[in-house]
Amino acid sequence: MKKFFSGLYLLAFLMFPLPLFASVPLTTVEGHVNSVLKILRDPALKGEAAKKTKKEKIRTISEKMFDFAELSKRTLGPNWKNFNTEQQKEFITLYRDILEDAYMDRIMAYKDEKVIFQKENMLSGDTVEVQSNVITKTAETPINYRLILKGGEWKVYDVVIEGVSLIKNYRTQFREILANKSPEELLKVLRKKVGKA
Amino acid sequence: MIKLIILIAGVIGIVFCFSPAFSDNALPSASPCCRQDQEVTSSQGEKPAPIQDKLTEDQDESVAKPDQPQEPSDQEESIAEEEEEGPQIADPLSPWNKAMYHVNDKFYFWVLKPVTQGYSSVVPEDMRVSFSNFYENVSTPIRFVSNLLQLKFKSAGNELVRFVANSLFGVAGFGDFAKEKMDIKRHDEDLGQTFAHYGIGHGFYIVWPILGPSSLRDSIGFVGDRFLHPLGYIGPGELSLGAAAGIYAHEEVNDTSFHIGEYEDLKKAAIDPYISIRDAYVQHRQKKAEE
Repeated sequence: MKKFFSGLYLLAFLMFPLPLFASVPLTTVEGHVNSVLKILRDPALKGEAAKKTKKEKIRTISEKMFDFAELSKRTLGPNWKNFNTEQQKEFITLYRDILEDAYMDRIMAYKDEKVIFQKENMLSGDTVEVQSNVITKTAETPINYRLILKGGEWKVYDVVIEGVSLIKNYRTQFREILANKSPEELLKVLRKKVGKA
Repeated sequence: MIKLIILIAGVIGIVFCFSPAFSDNALPSASPCCRQDQEVTSSQGEKPAPIQDKLTEDQDESVAKPDQPQEPSDQEESIAEEEEEGPQIADPLSPWNKAMYHVNDKFYFWVLKPVTQGYSSVVPEDMRVSFSNFYENVSTPIRFVSNLLQLKFKSAGNELVRFVANSLFGVAGFGDFAKEKMDIKRHDEDLGQTFAHYGIGHGFYIVWPILGPSSLRDSIGFVGDRFLHPLGYIGPGELSLGAAAGIYAHEEVNDTSFHIGEYEDLKKAAIDPYISIRDAYVQHRQKKAEE
């Protein structure tokens, strides 16, 4: 009888999800997003003068949060090999600038709304999707972050907003451009965009 | 008479969408605009071909290209290619679509945005939320029928419950009683998603002036949905075209008032806004169809 119960307890214990490992990606992303939101909401950092400081602070966080090299490779896909090492490095930098601005603008729009981090799904051995929801007055906007475990840290390699994956969206754009232009010309387009933005 | 024409056009359109040339699966071979996809998929198919790298242990899709000095490690290389392709859409009408994109762009900045901003400054947010709820409530038949057609009986039932609860307790639909007090959320479905449910592909991408991006399938769905929309049946006779258009315009302006800034952000973030919008549309519709 005793053996039966202890077996049962063991089974129950084993069935109980181990929270420690499962929640690391979620808490990682949540922490980063909240830091970014805090900077965006900071009343001391409003206005043009503070823009540079704001950008630098967010740059520090985004370097920790995103894996831009991974993002670049996944976005260019097979075209990645067509860039030489120099070009690859430059692409990563330019792409990072574009993404930071894009992500910041999107998050800015939601900075006064409630953001709830809900759950995470394993996508594969070392990738996870963390689901968050932005609660606005008329709708709920799902923003999901896909992370990969690299060097013991969870880093974001894709952001999916309302079902639209950032990587896939940029990949389609780059593919169409690279169908007609060389890597160097693409870099020229990106340099212009970042210079303007 | 007009309805008959629309019906026939709809049937032709559906048959068209079913045809292999335009179904999403056959896309890479059919569409000229997706040449690049074709290259990608055909080269990924060369799995058994000899791979020049020595470290090879992965079963992943590696392309049999000659070694280049900057070759990243095998694992990185395979991740770069392994990333699954997003949903694609044919774009044979791209000159028209690009022209319409520019028309809509101007329409947004010259007409829709200023009107909406004026509207927002006059109408307080709470009232706009109420209007939004009202219009959502009124379009219940569309969601109800589409849920039913997709055999999502529980969701269809929920829509019915929402309609009754919101019309009664939400007071004519201005309040979303069902979501707030009963925690029953909207199950957004339309005829286009119903077609998707039964395997009908997009057909091809179309950008309508003012109405915005759509596809052959979704446009037919949209027309079908308007037949289910109560606007078509109010009053003893049919509502005059002007009045119906006016109500539709109010609904759109009201809705846009909550989304000002998003289009600008999208344009700012995009390298090629036309492609970005097209791709975002396709991904978004696929996500909705999967729900």
